[in-house]
Amino acid sequence: MSETVITVKDVKIRYRYLKKISLIKAMFSLKKFAKTEYFEAVKGISFEIKKGQILGVVGKNGSGKSTLLKAIAGIFSPDEGEIDLHGHTVSLLSIGVGFHLALTGRENVYLSGMLLGFEREKIEDKMDEIIEFSELGDFIDRPVKTYSSGMYSKLAFSITAILETEIMLIDEVLSVGDAKFKKKSYDKMKSLIEDKDRTVIIVSHSIDTLESLCDNILWIHDGEMKMMGTTEEVLPEYIKFMS
Amino acid sequence: MKRFFSDIKKFGNYIMYAARSELKAEVAGSFLSWLWWFLDPLLYMLVYSFIALLVFKTGEPHFSVFVFIGLNVWHFFSKTIKISVRLVALNKNIVTKVYIPKHMFILSKMCVQAFKMFVSFGLTAVFLICDGVFKDSVHISYKILYVIPLFALLFVITFAVSLFIMHFGVFIEDLNNVITVVLQLGFYASGIFYSIENRLKDGAAWVAKILTNVNPVAMIMADMRSVIIGGGNIHLLSFAVWSVIAVVAAYFGIKLIYKFENSYVKII
Repeated sequence: MSETVITVKDVKIRYRYLKKISLIKAMFSLKKFAKTEYFEAVKGISFEIKKGQILGVVGKNGSGKSTLLKAIAGIFSPDEGEIDLHGHTVSLLSIGVGFHLALTGRENVYLSGMLLGFEREKIEDKMDEIIEFSELGDFIDRPVKTYSSGMYSKLAFSITAILETEIMLIDEVLSVGDAKFKKKSYDKMKSLIEDKDRTVIIVSHSIDTLESLCDNILWIHDGEMKMMGTTEEVLPEYIKFMS
Repeated sequence: MKRFFSDIKKFGNYIMYAARSELKAEVAGSFLSWLWWFLDPLLYMLVYSFIALLVFKTGEPHFSVFVFIGLNVWHFFSKTIKISVRLVALNKNIVTKVYIPKHMFILSKMCVQAFKMFVSFGLTAVFLICDGVFKDSVHISYKILYVIPLFALLFVITFAVSLFIMHFGVFIEDLNNVITVVLQLGFYASGIFYSIENRLKDGAAWVAKILTNVNPVAMIMADMRSVIIGGGNIHLLSFAVWSVIAVVAAYFGIKLIYKFENSYVKII
């Protein structure tokens, strides 16, 4: 049996309606603060993922998919329950994190890479590969503010795609740039996802993407687990439910 | 606490790189814009010297150096605090996408401000040396080394206050307005272009006592002037008391951020 990489146990995540308060308003309002209301986005979900598995997460909008993904990425902690990554590195695939427009592309690679938790040496090692993949050429040493939007997303994508982690969390599969780069980036994503050492969770609304990439599907409905199983089992049920 | 230090180790590179990037971005815009790192403190010093010497006719010995030290220390403190109020919101792009201990933002901003402060102290040193050459009342002695613990205390106090300000800044939308006014008050109450001890005496001596005792930044400023210009001593008791307070406050501030940082992203 291959090792367990992610254990999610009874996870509940609440959004407290913690609105910002204003000191002035608080001073002049005689009403006491309204009782804090809770909204439970994830209501007790448990599952395990083994190394190399590709799990797709489906559900209608607002069902708690992205919230769960963010909790696994550590962006916020669950209010109850546990998420154990068994010491593996994780990243939520997102492009252009921490970009500074006045700096050059190369400097932004460092900045973004360090934010994603990579060592400087590791980024240095991968630098050439990133530059090559991004097709930026000499532009890499010019400020990012001089880039076209296409160049910007090519660079951002390349950083995320080349600096890989053991667990990848993907909120909608990305493909960016012009038609040629779109294909290239999609192929790269695919090869990253299909790497047998990598564990991947994909949140997507695209049935085609899920069908072609995932081997298991988790279906979340209103914050609860509705169904989990192989792609062949779950997807037809989900399609039937949604239509 | 262990977690805090291992986080610093882990994100140390990022802290420094982000600080460097910010400084670089500041000067990337135009030719010679780094000159502003020198011009800024110099011009401020001239403005306050003008007000104090010509308008209020209140000088202190070695007035340029006196004002410099006050401004350098105050700007480091106040600029870090001011930015801390909105720090989480300013880094929304990062906070919503990756996990980073939020203290690291403060540390990075402190590095930026510390760099500017040290540049400005370099300028101060030039003025001090000129003063020393032309007047013989400057006593530079080994006691100038006391600035090291004074800087350390300034860093810890600034960090501790920033932690709380950053935390409450997430939840209270008009904290920025409040902080602006409080900092303005702090500016005038810290004796940046006047000496609290020399100006507030006789009937107002009790005010001076309060100002120096409740305001650690004023105390640091006064001690720095004393050891840099006059070769004097630091107020050992105040220093010790504020050190303990600063470390304890920083400890609770760090714990506070760790406890709540995960909910910030749900609000901004």
